[in-house]
Amino acid sequence: MTREETLNELKKVIAPYTVNKEMLAGINDQTDLIRDLKINSANLVDIIIDAEAKYDIEIDYDSADKMTNVGSCLDVITEKINQK
Amino acid sequence: MISTGNDIVALKAINITRTKQQNFYRKIISDSEKALYDEQFSDSLPFEHFVWLLWSIKESVYKYLQRITPELVFSPTKVIITKLEAPVNNTIQVFGGRDFNDKTVYKGVAEFGAHTLYSRSIITEDFIFSVINHIDNFERVLWGIRPIDSCEPGRQSEGVREIALAMLNSLFPDAKLKIDKNLHGIPVLLKNGVEIPVPVSLAHHDHYVAYSFAVSA
Repeated sequence: MTREETLNELKKVIAPYTVNKEMLAGINDQTDLIRDLKINSANLVDIIIDAEAKYDIEIDYDSADKMTNVGSCLDVITEKINQK
Repeated sequence: MISTGNDIVALKAINITRTKQQNFYRKIISDSEKALYDEQFSDSLPFEHFVWLLWSIKESVYKYLQRITPELVFSPTKVIITKLEAPVNNTIQVFGGRDFNDKTVYKGVAEFGAHTLYSRSIITEDFIFSVINHIDNFERVLWGIRPIDSCEPGRQSEGVREIALAMLNSLFPDAKLKIDKNLHGIPVLLKNGVEIPVPVSLAHHDHYVAYSFAVSA
């Protein structure tokens, strides 16, 4: 899966937790989940669980801590997919 | 450096089924905290409320410490709730003010690395609210909670500033106050355009907003 394909799937994972759909369509590596997409911190665990299910991976605590912006989410997901 | 941290969880917005699933709650609470629930709270508190109570305490700890260490990363399982005391009477009638009625709140102790911090939490049918302080005394902590008519992010941001500033204006009646955010996204209080050392914490979730701040006297 290319980074672009992973990004497109990630958009679907994030979509239920943001009302900022315009920004979601144009996200890039620097897009912050809380500050830019206005995702409530209470939903960050939902995103991690949904990403685990979507990509059939397991995201450990230390990796989950890094998932604060789109780029770090893609890095963690790519790393876990490659470890399968 | 004094700081403050608060968090609110709107209970109508949580997914109860998911919260009870091990793969979900294990990303928030540790084995020792699960044991704390089994030993002390399983008869009195729904498990999903316990999970979100601990989340709100941990998020408040993060906000408290992030003001001191801006690069801090929020890691729920690394904040450990070592002690949690249930209220004698959980009938909450006041949703803001200075300090708490200790008989109506959950009192906790949280540890993160070398830090030991203290919590007060309120649980109602509608929300869970927590505040953190560096001492087990909240006489210098002011707080408030309010429902709002929309959960749109702009309205949440506006609503939480309205209630925080209403309280702050009563303390600084002759000043022009504004709550802004610094480069790290941490709320700061400006008095006549100049930042003053009154730490403010803002929280919102769904149709609820809440704040806390600490004063020196």
